[in-house]
Parts: sequence; C-alpha cells; structure tokens
Amino acid sequence: MNVIEGAPGIEAVEYWHPAQGASNDDLAREFGDWDARKAYRVTGVRNRYVGNDRLSDMAAAAAEKLFQAHSVDRSTVDFLVLVTQTGDYLMPATACIVQDKLRLPHTCGAFDVNLGCSGYVYGLSIAKALLTSGAAKRLLLITGEKVAHINKNDRSSRVLFGEAAAATLLSRENIVAEIGGFDLGTDGAGYKNLIVEAGGTALPHSEETARGIVDEAGNVRSRDNLFMDGMEIFNFSMRTGPATIRAALEKNGVSQDQVTLFILHQANKMILETLRARMNIPKERFCIDLEEMGNTSSCTIPIALRNNMEKLGGGDKILLCGFGIGYSWASTVLTWRGKQK
Amino acid sequence: MILEEKLQLLTDTIEAEPGELKPDLELSSLDIWDSLAKLSVLAMFISKFNRELEVEKVRAFKTVGDILAEMHE
Repeated sequence: MNVIEGAPGIEAVEYWHPAQGASNDDLAREFGDWDARKAYRVTGVRNRYVGNDRLSDMAAAAAEKLFQAHSVDRSTVDFLVLVTQTGDYLMPATACIVQDKLRLPHTCGAFDVNLGCSGYVYGLSIAKALLTSGAAKRLLLITGEKVAHINKNDRSSRVLFGEAAAATLLSRENIVAEIGGFDLGTDGAGYKNLIVEAGGTALPHSEETARGIVDEAGNVRSRDNLFMDGMEIFNFSMRTGPATIRAALEKNGVSQDQVTLFILHQANKMILETLRARMNIPKERFCIDLEEMGNTSSCTIPIALRNNMEKLGGGDKILLCGFGIGYSWASTVLTWRGKQK
Repeated sequence: MILEEKLQLLTDTIEAEPGELKPDLELSSLDIWDSLAKLSVLAMFISKFNRELEVEKVRAFKTVGDILAEMHE
C-alpha cells in the first residue's frame, strides 16, 4: 500500500467571469427612478457580470485559466467536485459535462454539490476528505453560479448578484495553503427565506408559477424566480456568522487575534460591516471584496482569496466562512505556506 | 439616550431629511421606508444596541415612535 505524504491543501486558485459587465449606472438607466447611491450604500456593489454562457462553459473556462496559468497537466487530475445551484440541466450532474469539456481522464471521479454561499468551504471539506482517504490525489474544486432565476424586474436581486466561476486545485504536494479543521452546520428551518420555489418535483413549472407579482418595493418576481427575505437573511447572518467563526477558530487552536485575514462570504456590505463591528475585527484584517463582481454565491470566497494572495506570507492564518441559502454554513482556517506559482 | 439623540440616529440610519422624523409620523408616509431602510434599521440595532430585532417586529412598525420605543439596550 502506498502511503501518501503531506497535508491536504490548495495548490492554486483562479476565477473567471462573463465579459459583459453591468454597472450601477447601467441599472439606473434601465430602472428609471431607482436610487443607485442608496443601493450601493447597503450592498457595496458597483458592478456585476452577467452573460449567456452555460454553467459548464463557465466552469471549464475557470479551470482552463488555472491549467494555463500554473502549467497543470490535466491528465493528473483524478477528481472533480462542482459546486453550483444553476447547472446546465436538472440531470445529469454538470460535473460530468465539465469533465468532458476539460478532457479530464475517464478515471476521474466527478459529482455536483448543490450548495450556495457555504459551498466553497463545504467543497474544501469534501476535497480534504477525498485527499486524506486516498480516493483522490489531485482534485479540482470548481464553484460556479449564474443569475438564471432572477426576474429582470427584481431590482433588489439584480443589483446584488453576479455570475462567476472559480477553480481551485488541491493535492498533498506543492501546496500554498494547508486546510485546517472545519465547523459545518445546517438549519433547514430557514429554507423558505432564500429559495427558487418552482421547477423541482415539489412544485413543477406552470403558468401559475410563472405569473409575476409586484412586491411593496416595486420588485417583480414569480415563483419561478429567486426569492430572498433580506431581513431574515440578515438576522441569520448575525446569529450564525460569529458562532461558526468562533467554533472554527477553537477547533483549529487559533485565536481571533492570530488571524491575518478574515474572508467571509461576500453577502452584502451591510452584513459584512455589521459582522466585522460585532466581532471587533480590525478593518485591515477583514476582506470586503464585492464592489466589482457583486455577490457571486459560492465564488465570493475563492475570488477574494485569489485577489488577496499576493499580500499573504508564510504562516499566515486565513479564516474562511460561508453562510447562506439552506440555511447552511461552513468555516475553516487556512495556513499559508508560500506564494502561488 | 434622549429622544433627540434617538431621532438623530434614526434620521442618519434611514437617511431621512433633517427634522423630518417625528414620533407620531406614519412610516407608510415615508418614501424612504423601503427594504433597504429596514435592513439599515436592523443593522443599527445590532451596532448601537447589540440587539437583534425580530423581523416580524420590524414589519409591524407603524410609526417612527414604534422604532424609538425599541431603541434601548
């Protein structure tokens, strides 16, 4: 039996977004009386990207970017985990389509994970387990999300969400960050507060589910569209964020003061600022990175991680925390080993 | 916190016009009392009073005075 040496960790991270951006000025022209300044104050989003690409194409583009930037031999990838809630089809798993588009070996395992805001950290926990067990030696974790379910007249969602895909390569060799222990959690009682209600087996699409309804703020959405109860999500974030962060720090034997950088899911600026203040985390150690790309669901954490890599040094501790749809949450601590190639 | 301080804090939070808010003012008469303003009020209660307001309570606010009455630790 071959013994695999080394701790599981991240080799490289890259991300991709559609070419077409939509600025707040673009939305203001489309929406008419919409207050772009106020929306920016709460969301912290100034731009977002939305395209016509299939999720599998977005995922493949992020992976190809990573392969090229880091001279990765694709035949060495033996597992693909794709985190998305907006796959190409109801079935099969989009991971299978991505395996083919990337020309990964037929011996490569592949499956989808249906999670959103917590999905990247969950994906890291799955990757770590597969690498630790020996089931995988070099694993590609891709997160990707489209805004496919958002009604074009739902201003509150359109200002916040954007499309992206992020690829993370993991193994037990040549890693830049070691993955620590996890705090994972679920509270399904909150499932109705962030949901696309119709289209599954519980409520199939119909004329009834497609009928748009105008809410008190003038936003239009149907039961086929994404619904978000912003206030409930805010309160959930305030309850859960600090608890899961503290639990992850405790599991990893790391104090809050020892963390170099806190990277939380980039839900919106108000949630992030309020959490930061509530936990007394200094601004310089707390990442807010959603102005250019918006809330990209499971992609916000790897995007922020990639954007901050150059600032990190050996031994630095990075706290990752995802929380949202489900309700679902996950946190871990990375230990930085060196610069990405 | 005295009444004037609470009114000023609420004015800043929901970006009302100076002097616009009075305790008996109906929130439904304020164009600015929208979903973003309600989120801002939730955040203000966490930041200033370390209190998490129940969503049902925020939705039940009828007047400025209803909010002022909750502004305590």
